[in-house]
Amino acid sequence: MKEEFRGRMLRVHFGEDDKWLGKPLHQAILAKCAELGIAEAVVFRGIEGYGSGSRIRRSGHWSFSGDAPIQLSIIDTEEQIAKLIPFLDKVVEEGLVASSPVEAIRYTRAVHVPEVEE
Amino acid sequence: MLAPGKAVKVTIYLSEGATHRGVPAYSTILDFLFYRGVAGATVTKGIAGFGADHHMHSSTTVEIADRLPLKIEFIETREKVDALLGKLEELAGTGLIEMQETTVAKPAQASKQKKANPQQHLKIEGKAQMMRIFLSEEDRWKNKPLHEALVEAMRANDVAGVTVYRGILGYGAHRRMHKDKPTLALHQGSVMLSAIDAAEKLRAFLPMVEQMVEEGLVVFSDVDIIKYAYRATDELTAAAAGATT
Repeated sequence: MKEEFRGRMLRVHFGEDDKWLGKPLHQAILAKCAELGIAEAVVFRGIEGYGSGSRIRRSGHWSFSGDAPIQLSIIDTEEQIAKLIPFLDKVVEEGLVASSPVEAIRYTRAVHVPEVEE
Repeated sequence: MLAPGKAVKVTIYLSEGATHRGVPAYSTILDFLFYRGVAGATVTKGIAGFGADHHMHSSTTVEIADRLPLKIEFIETREKVDALLGKLEELAGTGLIEMQETTVAKPAQASKQKKANPQQHLKIEGKAQMMRIFLSEEDRWKNKPLHEALVEAMRANDVAGVTVYRGILGYGAHRRMHKDKPTLALHQGSVMLSAIDAAEKLRAFLPMVEQMVEEGLVVFSDVDIIKYAYRATDELTAAAAGATT
């Protein structure tokens, strides 16, 4: 099934060590996206980078404990993204959100039946 | 690149121990010549010699073996040499600089075909589109990972460039979640392909994507491109020009 829509893509940048209520921030945002039924959300871990406060973020070489830069790509319609923004305002204490208009095409294998989870 | 004909040969005589800001003077000079695009330069080490101070330096006298004479030679056009001379005089310190007219019979050729002169690269600017495709890492197409197949297909269709990113966590079109049950079927193998080219090129490739991608999300956004290339492939220039019009 093919579904085309105009929407918005957010890229949220922060550090892997950032937390929200004791939980990794990227997991918290992802959970919120799921709750809102956002179309697509993917977390990427960068190798190295710097951002707010010019603090260099680097993934650890000897452990998984390094504060690697995290980028979350979130895509959905304008309305759906608008619902997510207040949450981001609340939880992202130090970071950057880049937003751009996009045209999206969604391909789905099964006919849209919400109860059926693959 | 040097052309056959008249040129100038420059020879700089230094002492091995000579330094410029704490770094051996010969290496500073060599770096200077290299980054200023001189065709070639050679450093030779003498085994004995004497200079302005009239002290004999030879490799047999252990205590002054670090003051052996060094010779840096390079051949360039008159204009280039004139442009370099001021700085060279400063770098050579107390050393001697000699110039002589010479004739290049046959210029040296680069041993491998490559990015010849770093100063010749081109900057191409224009409007383009970015196509991002979100997939699952396990998706397959004709027995190979779908993201690999897509990269190959894009290459075969002359899409300017594509990069595959692996996500550490995610969910999406392929893993539908419903609103009243937000149990995260979080998925480790999210993959994103990001390709940039002229809008028409990407749109032309879309039917191929449709054929290959059963589940996934394709996202288009407008981007401004600045591309640095050694050789302008006519195609890309045309693409950039086409996209601006």
